[in-house]
Amino acid sequence: MIAPQGFYSRHERAILGVGAIVLFLAFWEGLERGWWSDLLQPVIGAEAERWRIKPIFISSPALITQAAYRMFFVTGEIWRDLGLSGLEFVLGIAIAITIGIPLGLAAGWYRPLSHAVAPFLSALNATPQVAFLPLIIIWIGSGFATKIIIIVLLAVLPIAINAQAAVRTTDPRLIKVADSFGAGEWLLFRSIILPSAVPFLLAGLRLAIGRGMIGIVVGEVYGSSGGIGMMISQAGSRFQTDKVFVGVLTIVAAGVILVEVLRRIERRVEVWRP
Amino acid sequence: MALFLVLWEIISRSGLVDPLFISSPVRVVRTGTASLASGEIWADLKVSGVEFLLGYVGAAAVAIPLGLAMGWSKRLQYIFGPFVDTLNAVPRVTLLPLIIIWLGIGIWSKVAVVFLGAVIPILINTQSGVKTNEARFIKVARSFGASELKVFVTIILPGTVPFIFTGLKYGAGRALLGVVVGELYASTAGVGHLIADAGNTFQTDVVFFGVLIFTASGLVTVAILDRFERRFENWRPKVGAAA
Repeated sequence: MIAPQGFYSRHERAILGVGAIVLFLAFWEGLERGWWSDLLQPVIGAEAERWRIKPIFISSPALITQAAYRMFFVTGEIWRDLGLSGLEFVLGIAIAITIGIPLGLAAGWYRPLSHAVAPFLSALNATPQVAFLPLIIIWIGSGFATKIIIIVLLAVLPIAINAQAAVRTTDPRLIKVADSFGAGEWLLFRSIILPSAVPFLLAGLRLAIGRGMIGIVVGEVYGSSGGIGMMISQAGSRFQTDKVFVGVLTIVAAGVILVEVLRRIERRVEVWRP
Repeated sequence: MALFLVLWEIISRSGLVDPLFISSPVRVVRTGTASLASGEIWADLKVSGVEFLLGYVGAAAVAIPLGLAMGWSKRLQYIFGPFVDTLNAVPRVTLLPLIIIWLGIGIWSKVAVVFLGAVIPILINTQSGVKTNEARFIKVARSFGASELKVFVTIILPGTVPFIFTGLKYGAGRALLGVVVGELYASTAGVGHLIADAGNTFQTDVVFFGVLIFTASGLVTVAILDRFERRFENWRPKVGAAA
């Protein structure tokens, strides 16, 4: 391979990527504003009206930006929803971690426990956990706690399964060495198993973040008093498409930021590893 | 597991907790057999099954070729990469309100959710599968003058199969999630609709039975894919636990 020459070949990736996105956004904006139907009018006549689509169906990048600006900085209505959903999310994930990590580690370490837990884990894993929502609502109604439980239910499985896998994949030679030097179970656990499990635990957490986001949206659809999911579904039923997009993009941004934070932590924790 | 089921039955029978809330294993089984026998469940099963199959097969039909192409051609990857990454970051169920505006509350909005849920994992896995192909094989083939097509068919495709199946299994879970959420959210028929309806009318046994149907279909789908995978993977030397 010769070193790439010229401006285009050096920046091919950025040019093609940005170009495709700009084209896509322009196409979208044009559908809403009727650029394409005006353009095609002389060629195909009345047929061209098909290329003009009402804003309630597709909104447009400009409309979405305006709605986002209004909701964040003018009326500030989104902050209350964001706060509520954020609280649900943090509590849900925290509970999922406190249950999932000890359970998973224990199931990975003690064989009998692993046999006892395995059928539940695989059955739960095969079920879309969201299907439990109607049951949870029967049990505890449709309040704040319901949403937290659905987030826990969705997030706990990847955490527990990864923790279990982490213990299983610990280097057996290290355990053997520690054993032969008479290390107790606690020392073994703290100094060998836990450090080598960290990347798995973080990977589980990353999956859990995505699941938790689904939990927020799905949980809030069922009669709740606020939150981003609620806002999205209400805006949807009122055909406020731009608001729906703002909500979806807010959730995406939150997810991306959280995953990035996790990646930073991972790099920090993993510096000792060769 | 047995202990758990017995405990559940005992608690329910003893009246410690009203069976209205937790049902019991025996009740769930009874409801299940009754509704299978009377045939009222088949209509819902059929609707959910059609949604799942259309969306899932559609997703595979789009994602596998596109993933192979994106893994093979750098340019295509540069063009489509940003869209795939963005869509991957979106929890697809949040798009439901939009999809319902576009397609209504009938079967097609569910097909679309299932499709969107399944298409991304399959696509990403296929693409990364192409990239992890043994570079030496490709080099050898090229030095013996193999055409691009030949390299693709004899090296890239077989090497990518395990990744495609991982993506398909992952996608199956997402597709089922799509069916449930889509039908809970807004629908006129289907197993998710049955669960939501039964929940609203406190028929706990029916809810549990519906959830069991989803569990079973998840397990069956993965088992079928496993079988297909083994068929395609016969030629590969066995490593590790499979040996």
